[in-house]
Amino acid sequence: MKLNVDVTPRTDVPRWMRYGTPVFTILAALAVSAVALVALGVSPVEAYYVMFVQTLTTNFGLTNTVAKAVPLIFAGLAVYLPLKAQLWNIGAEGQLFLGAIAGTWIGLNVSLPMVALLPLMFVGGALAGAAWIAVPAWLRAKLGINEIITTLLFVFVATEIKNYLVRGPLQAPTANFPQSAQLPAAAQLPDIPVVGYPVGIVLAVVLVAVTYLLVNYTRLGYEITFIGANDTAAEHAGMSKFKIYMIVLMAGGAMAGVAGVSELSGVQGRLRASFEPGYGFTAIPIALLGRNGAFQVMLAALFFAVIFVGGSSIQTLLGVPSAIVDIMQALIILFLITSEFFKQYSIDLGIERAPDPGAPGQPEGEV
Amino acid sequence: MAGLAAGLANATVNASTVLILAGLGELISERAGVLNLGVEGMMLVGALSGFVVTWVTGSYWLGMGIAITAGGLMALLHAFLCISLNSDQAVSGIMLTLLGTGLTTYFGNDWSGRSIDGFPEVTIPVVGEYLVEIPILGSALFQSTATDYAALLLVPVVWLFLYRTNIGLELISVGEDPETADTMGVDVFKMRYLAVILGGMFAGAAGAHLSLAFNGIWSATMTAGRGWIAVALVIFARWRPGRILLGAYLFGLFNALQLYSQGLNLSLGPGAPLVGVVNPVLEFVLNPTIMSTYPYLVTLLVLVITVVRAENRELAQPSALVQSYSREAD
Repeated sequence: MKLNVDVTPRTDVPRWMRYGTPVFTILAALAVSAVALVALGVSPVEAYYVMFVQTLTTNFGLTNTVAKAVPLIFAGLAVYLPLKAQLWNIGAEGQLFLGAIAGTWIGLNVSLPMVALLPLMFVGGALAGAAWIAVPAWLRAKLGINEIITTLLFVFVATEIKNYLVRGPLQAPTANFPQSAQLPAAAQLPDIPVVGYPVGIVLAVVLVAVTYLLVNYTRLGYEITFIGANDTAAEHAGMSKFKIYMIVLMAGGAMAGVAGVSELSGVQGRLRASFEPGYGFTAIPIALLGRNGAFQVMLAALFFAVIFVGGSSIQTLLGVPSAIVDIMQALIILFLITSEFFKQYSIDLGIERAPDPGAPGQPEGEV
Repeated sequence: MAGLAAGLANATVNASTVLILAGLGELISERAGVLNLGVEGMMLVGALSGFVVTWVTGSYWLGMGIAITAGGLMALLHAFLCISLNSDQAVSGIMLTLLGTGLTTYFGNDWSGRSIDGFPEVTIPVVGEYLVEIPILGSALFQSTATDYAALLLVPVVWLFLYRTNIGLELISVGEDPETADTMGVDVFKMRYLAVILGGMFAGAAGAHLSLAFNGIWSATMTAGRGWIAVALVIFARWRPGRILLGAYLFGLFNALQLYSQGLNLSLGPGAPLVGVVNPVLEFVLNPTIMSTYPYLVTLLVLVITVVRAENRELAQPSALVQSYSREAD
C-alpha cells in the first residue's frame, strides 16, 4: 500500500473555505487549548462556560468586552490596512505607546472642555502614531528596507521612551510610582448614557465603516488592493508605490495611535510603566482573521476581547493562569497560517494498493 | 576606577553569553534564508524545560540537553510552517514567541521561586589561576561557567562550519540563491530545515544558560526581550559570526552600563560654560532607560547602511531572506 499526496495549486478558493476558515480555526484552537486546561486539572467545559457564556450573558462581561474591543479594533485596523498592500505593520504596539504618550501629555497640559479636549487628544495620538511609523514607512517606500524588522525595532524603542517618560518628565510630581498623574475628568472618555458602554466603541465602528468604504469604494482603496496583489503591474499602470506605501503605513500608525489614546482615556486613566497591553501584537491575528474586510476585523477584535475578558475571569474564578490567552492566540495564528496553505493548494490523498502479483493486468503503480 | 572597570567587564561578559548563543542560532537560520522571530519563545521554552529537568534529576547537563532539544522542536514547527507550507516567516515567528511565552508562563507558574545549583564557575585547568589575575578582563573571561566558554568556542566553530564545510557552504547557497542551489543538486528544503532546527537548538541553549548558569532560577518571561536583541544583533553583525561576538559584547556593554550608569557622573562642574545645555543632554543620553534603546537604534542604522551600500555584496544580507521557495514557482 502506498500513500500518494498530490499537492496542486488552486485557481479559486471555494466560498465555504474562505468564510469557514476563521470559524474552524477558532474551534481548533479552543480544542487544543483544552488539553492545556486538562493538564492543570481544570474542566474545559467549565472553563469555556465561564470564558464565553458568562462573559457574553452578564452585564459586567459585556461592558468589559466592549471596552476591550475598542483598542483592539483600532489596532486590528492598524495592521489590516497595510496588509491590504501586502505590508506588515508588526510594530503597532509601539505606535500605540506613542499615541498614549501624546494623549497623556495633551490631557494633562491642555485645559479645554471635554468636547474639544478629547478630539484634540485623539488627533494628537493619531499624529504621534503616524510620526512613529514615518521612518520605517519611508525606509520601506524609498529604500525597500523590510518593514517587519524596522517597525518591530521601533516597538522596543517606544517601550523604553514610555518607561523613561513615566519616571521623568511625565511622572506625577507627588508620586513615587513610575506613572503619570491621573487625567482630569474632561480627558476621560465617558460612557454612553443608558447603555453604559464606553463611547469609544462608536468611534471604532465609525472607523471600521470608513476603512470599509475606503478599501472597497474609493480610487485609493483600489490602488491599495492593486499594489497588494501585484506591485509591478500596478507601477506599470502608473500608480505610485511610494505614495501608497506611505499612506497605508502612516494611516496604520495613526490608527494604532488612536488605539493608545482610547485605552488610556477610556480604561487606564493614567500612563503607567506597566502599561504593556500587547494589543499591537494581538492585532496581527486579528488582521489575519479579518483579512477579508474591515467588518471581519471588527468581529475578530470582538472575539479577542471576549477571550481577554474571559481569560481574566477564569483566572479569578478557577485559578487558571491567564497566560492561557497567549496560548490561544498563538494557536489561532498557527491554525490560520496552516489553513492558508490549504486555501492555496488542494491536497489529494490517494491510497494505492500494492499491485497484487496474482492478478494479471494490474496497472503498474506510479513511481 | 579599576574596580569599576573590572565590574563593568564582568557584567558585560556575563550579559553577552546569552546574546552570542541566540545570535549565532539566528544567524545560521537567516543565512539559509529563514527569518526566525520566535527566538524569544524558544529561549523561554529552553529556560523552563532546562530548569525543570535540572531540578528533577539534579543534572544540569541533562537539563541543557533537554533545553536544546526543546528549542529544536519548536524550530521544527517553524521550519514546517515556513519551508513546507510556505507560511509567512514573520507571522510564524511571532506565533512561536507568543506560544513559548504563553506555554512557559502557564506551566511554569509552580516552578518560580525555586532555585537550583546550576553550572558552577570554573577556571581553565593549569593556566586558569594565572589568567584570572589579568587586570580588568581576567576574572570576567576566565572565571566563568562552562556555557560561557562554550559560547565563545562556538563562534569560530560556526564560522568554520559555514565557510569551511560543504554543508555550511550549501546552507549559505540556499539563503542566497535557492533556484541555482537546487539546480546544482543542493536539497534546498533539507538545508533550510537543518539551519532552522540548528538555530532553534542554539536558542534553547541560550535560554537554558539564563536559567541554569546566569540566574539559577526560573521566572516567567525571564528572557526580558533578549531574543529580540538577538534578532537585532544578527543585522548589526551583518550576518557574520565574528561580528556576532563583537556585537554581543557591545550590546552587553550597553546592558552593563545601565547597571552602572548611576555610578558614572559625567556632568560638568557648575562653573563650566554651556552647563545648562550640556548637563540635561548628558543626563538624557546617559539615562539607563534611554541607553537600553541604543542597541536597537544602532541596529537600525546598520540596516540602513547595509541597504544603501548594497553594491558591497560582501556585507549584504542573504539575498533570499524571508523568501519561501517552491519548485513549481514561476
